[in-house]
Amino acid sequence: MSAPVSAIRDPLIEGGKTYHDITEDICSPTEKTPNLAWIIAFIISASALAFYVFCVAWTVWQGIGSWNLNRTINWGWDITNFVWWVGIGHAGTLISAILLLFRQKWRTGVNRAAEAMTIFAVMCAGQFPLIHMGRLWLAFFIFPYPNTRGPLWVNFNSPLLWDVFAISTYFTVSLLFWYTGLVPDLATVRDRARGLRKKIYNFVSFGWTGAAKHWQRWESLSLVLAGLATPLVLSVHTIVSFDFATSVIPGWHTTIFPPYFVAGAIFSGFAMVQTLMVITRKVLNLQEYITLEHIESMNKVILLTGTMVGVAYLTELFIAWYSGYIYEQFAFYNRVLGPYYWSYIGMMSCNVLSPQIFWFRKMRRSIFVTFIMSIFVNIGMWFERFVIISSTLARDYLPTSWSYYTPTWVEIGLFIGTLGLFFTLYLVFTRLAPVVAVAEVKSILKTAGDQYVGNGAQAQAGTVEQKEVH
Amino acid sequence: MNQFAFESKQKIFLLGAMGLGVVCMVLTFLVDDPLHTRFWSNFLHNSVFFTGIAFVSLFVLAAFTTAYSGWHTLVKRIWETYSLFLIPGLILMGVIILGIWGHFHHLYHWADPAAVAEDEILQGKSAFLNKNWYTIGTVVILGIWAYFAWRMHRISVQEDLQGTSDFSHHRRYRYWSAAFLPVGAFTSAALIWQWVMSIDAHWYSTLFAWYATASWFVAAMALTILTVIFLKALGYMEEVSTNHLHDLGKYAFAFSIFWTYLWFSQYMLIWYGNVGEETIYFRERLDHYPTMFYGNLILNFVAPFFILMRNDTKRKFGTMVLTSIILLLGHWWDFFLMIKPGVYHTAQEVLGHGAHGGGETGHDAAGHAASTFHAGFTMPGLLELGTFIGFLALFLYFVFNRLEKVSLIPPNDPYLAESKHHTVWPY
Repeated sequence: MSAPVSAIRDPLIEGGKTYHDITEDICSPTEKTPNLAWIIAFIISASALAFYVFCVAWTVWQGIGSWNLNRTINWGWDITNFVWWVGIGHAGTLISAILLLFRQKWRTGVNRAAEAMTIFAVMCAGQFPLIHMGRLWLAFFIFPYPNTRGPLWVNFNSPLLWDVFAISTYFTVSLLFWYTGLVPDLATVRDRARGLRKKIYNFVSFGWTGAAKHWQRWESLSLVLAGLATPLVLSVHTIVSFDFATSVIPGWHTTIFPPYFVAGAIFSGFAMVQTLMVITRKVLNLQEYITLEHIESMNKVILLTGTMVGVAYLTELFIAWYSGYIYEQFAFYNRVLGPYYWSYIGMMSCNVLSPQIFWFRKMRRSIFVTFIMSIFVNIGMWFERFVIISSTLARDYLPTSWSYYTPTWVEIGLFIGTLGLFFTLYLVFTRLAPVVAVAEVKSILKTAGDQYVGNGAQAQAGTVEQKEVH
Repeated sequence: MNQFAFESKQKIFLLGAMGLGVVCMVLTFLVDDPLHTRFWSNFLHNSVFFTGIAFVSLFVLAAFTTAYSGWHTLVKRIWETYSLFLIPGLILMGVIILGIWGHFHHLYHWADPAAVAEDEILQGKSAFLNKNWYTIGTVVILGIWAYFAWRMHRISVQEDLQGTSDFSHHRRYRYWSAAFLPVGAFTSAALIWQWVMSIDAHWYSTLFAWYATASWFVAAMALTILTVIFLKALGYMEEVSTNHLHDLGKYAFAFSIFWTYLWFSQYMLIWYGNVGEETIYFRERLDHYPTMFYGNLILNFVAPFFILMRNDTKRKFGTMVLTSIILLLGHWWDFFLMIKPGVYHTAQEVLGHGAHGGGETGHDAAGHAASTFHAGFTMPGLLELGTFIGFLALFLYFVFNRLEKVSLIPPNDPYLAESKHHTVWPY
């Protein structure tokens, strides 16, 4: 007997699905020729990716001088994009790890795609520090190992180095987590396949047979990985925030940065999940698995984290005044009313004000509003990093070195290019693996399927009884 | 047994404990310096600590309700009654406010017009750090919180009596819960700045409010676990199983780590930045309060981390009682360390002794050694412990008194069945 479910809960799987329906609905998109929407999206994404390759080659050939960074503003779009992508890469592991520990059933509808997105986002993020090196082929210098380069040795006191470890650890664990979840589903795809396809899926599903022992180990491994990944969700963006907060630059050196960056990261991550899910559920016809309930839950998380970020913005502003430290006060005056005032407005309106419409249930459950808001939040969180990085650097201690920064086409191209990389990978993923975790959705069917719980369940039960009477 | 009876034996015991608290406070008052710094700082310390536990209880209730949590239904009455302590909390903080206006104490450097007149930094902050704002902020914000607590409690009790199958009470409860989240999140920071951070009036940290809230959170969880186990030991709350204990333990564990994360973030960033105006806060504590400083980490991180990491420890009543006592005292200890050094410093300045640690005052070695231990400041003494017990007894007396008036288990909560069958392990 499954545990009782409160009648106040709404179902998470609609359409009275059977186990077989679930397999059929979720696996079949990987077995058909892609539709026109997918092909067009792929052509656009792959073109952007190609442009990315061109821009990287340009940067390497011409040098970092092809960007508009200058003596004063030595971090611009590159680090903004890096932090933006790393932030986006937070939702997947939050959903898969923390919501697993919290036993949140709605995570099963979105965790697979969110984890995949996390991995792709972290890959995009990783590009920027590498390109910023200028000489990509020397990237191995960041690894601390005995070498013949004399005094050239990594600086363990630098949060930038901690970042290397934090992000690579996060990437590894997220990848393992994602792949572990995929194994039973890849086996499901295998069981439906024939010929070479079957051989390939058999190989990647590690010979999974669905034996009780397999499931037991799989469950244990999932929990262990969730336990390991939970601190990682916090640590990655904490260490990214250290990149700024360990300095003594006014506007950067503030103690609230670690938790506030984490909240912002989850915020932007969920926004990207929404962007992808709203499209994916439509194109792959998965509305009965990624329901309005899922979308509403994620909108609530967006409202929550957006408001947390809002508390942090106001705390920063207030404490800047309260500190009585004129440089701190100026840094924030400059943020709000300085030459980059428009980016502050963009940040505040997209991140704090606009998500407040999610106080209304109608808005939370509107696909259109959700999609627009998810784009808003993505923009707002990009602005947040731009505000923190460039607008702060533009006004330093020495007024003669004050400067203004606008990106070159190369920098813009690199950003658009990583979007291409991201969407190309995501589109390929939707072709190769089930975008919803088949096994996990099945595990909640009896406690969240609409024939078992919610208002519809009683109605259906009623009809069954009536049928029996007749 | 779903109806708690507050027996006279328990009342007498708690009244006795309150009496002990009063005796300790009177003794503190008598042995104190001319400003009664020890007495007043003890009063502030405990008032802030227990009012904060009440606030966090309301916040937890609001958060869990908003998040569709079902498992906590069997213990939610405890948080509902805890949160009602915001009303006595308002009275306790009212005494501090009266003290500020009547110049009965010198807890806050900024409340002293003479000090502000010759201190440029305090002048800069005086638009926020002044008696009016302290009074208005405390009364209005605590008043709003207390209103929410009272309101939510009332809806919950109405649901017991007249709950219907359309869940209208629960929906109303959820509206109030959701509304409280932003209200609580924005306003708690302002109160923590005024009540606690402004004691070190020159110092500031953007993380401080969240840090203090995390400390309250763990303390509230610890006290909840103790109350649940106490009620179970009396034969109440039979349906609260080791599974619920396990989940409460998980919260205590997770938020102990979260508290440590915030502690580390604040400490590390200030240490790394090495700006004198910021490091002075920790320099003072490391130099003159080393036991408190390191003890804080041992009690609130090392102990819960190693004890609560395993699954089985969170399901054992004895272990959970021990750990909860450590955590409750540990976070009381944490607030002691937040409050006492600054208060002591201020008092010394007012008394004209010059504060310790001032570089240019040039203490000689002997003089410094003689001044390193200050009863009631360097470490909590017996009087502090007695005062704590008194306040704890007051809190529990109030809570049990309110608990007696309602059903221990909310019979019409839509999640009741889920909570009764809650299972977390083995899966």
